[in-house]
Amino acid sequence: MKTPWQVMTGGDWLVVLTLLGIALAGIAWLATAPAGTRVVATCGHQTCFVAELDQAHSVDLDGPLGKTHLVIDEKGAYVTSSPCPRKVCLSMGPARYSGDLLACVPNRIMVRIENRSGEDVPYDLLSR
Amino acid sequence: MPWNRPLIIGIIVLLLALGWLRTNSGEVKQVRRSQLMMGTIVEIVASGQDAGQLEAAADEAFAEMARLDKLLSRHYQNSDVTRLSKSLKGGQIAPETAAVIALGLDVARHSNGAFDMTLGRLKALWGIDRENPTVPEQAAIAEAIEGIGFQALSLEGLNLVKQSPQLMVDLGGIAKGYIVDQAIVVLKKHGVTSGAVNAGGDMYLLGRHPEHPWRIGIQHPRKQGGILTTVEVRDKAVVTSGDYERFFEQDGQRYHHIFDPATGSPARGCQSVTVVTDNVALGDALATALFVLGPEKGLELLAQYPGSAGLIVAADGTLHPSQGWTDYQSSP
Repeated sequence: MKTPWQVMTGGDWLVVLTLLGIALAGIAWLATAPAGTRVVATCGHQTCFVAELDQAHSVDLDGPLGKTHLVIDEKGAYVTSSPCPRKVCLSMGPARYSGDLLACVPNRIMVRIENRSGEDVPYDLLSR
Repeated sequence: MPWNRPLIIGIIVLLLALGWLRTNSGEVKQVRRSQLMMGTIVEIVASGQDAGQLEAAADEAFAEMARLDKLLSRHYQNSDVTRLSKSLKGGQIAPETAAVIALGLDVARHSNGAFDMTLGRLKALWGIDRENPTVPEQAAIAEAIEGIGFQALSLEGLNLVKQSPQLMVDLGGIAKGYIVDQAIVVLKKHGVTSGAVNAGGDMYLLGRHPEHPWRIGIQHPRKQGGILTTVEVRDKAVVTSGDYERFFEQDGQRYHHIFDPATGSPARGCQSVTVVTDNVALGDALATALFVLGPEKGLELLAQYPGSAGLIVAADGTLHPSQGWTDYQSSP
């Protein structure tokens, strides 16, 4: 009786090597998946802006009252101007750590810091 | 080229099995959802093995919070609070409203009126929430605080009696906490044993974070974006009230949203107060009362609530931890 190796045909080896290649490519893709911390903004119920926290950026986010201006720099992500009456979002300071949230409630803008790298953060939630 | 079909099928089955194991390996999943409600960001975090169950729990918790907000907020025309404020003598209220008012009256009595649910007229007069608030005339402030206080409200079952027609009920210092507590009830009903509900910094931490105890950063009252300290908790509420949340400045003076019922003006004894206790409604009310009372009397009040601890940052920036605070503090 022949062993499994003896009955392996060229086609079998082709399939085995192809699947092995796919598996290795998958592992490599997971290892090189973009890491880091993102700034994700929602306008109403829609995600309207995504950026890396470590890349300086500024953007106007559109809400029902007008434009809320979000800046990303070395301090974190923070709001510099907004058409809402109380300007609470301006006094919230920068969001830097995973889970930090900013909001301009009247303008229906919400900004969240999302961490995808497993970076250690000093807290899970912020009481303010 | 010849093909060994049994081998190919075997490999495919093996790969499928590995894939199935990968997705059903008991890995803890976390659902994190946020919504704008109650004038702030409300966030629900729930961890467990069944993502569908966690999503359903979060959906129902948000729905329950929206329902309660419509009952307890002065911003809704048909809420119990609006109805009570418009009424001449009070009236029948929902059991949930009665529960909030009963707890509020208890804290009001213990704090000798520092916590007050009858400041509706005063808050409307100051208009901190408006675009350009200004300091009202002293005579107008005196009129707005006339006849207020916990003695002006009495609860008999589901019937609330007001002592004067112009009294305006405001549950702003307690309702949000109660609503968070009820969201936690919903999560528990769905079998969630690890999670958090956070309404603009007033939060309850259910069970343990999947990787460690819940670590809660406490906002520094004078360093924007800075952390004063960190606490570690499980099955506890953490509530912070500060003069930096909502304020305006006039003639170099800061006027914030936490009013001293005795003067009708913003309380001056503290920069911020953090309370760790068993439920968010109590924490909400206590944080306001402590802020109004200031460090010395505030800590005396807190000592009357077993299982509660707090950290008061006085107006001069000095820290006043209560007995038991160090059990929670993890840094610095």
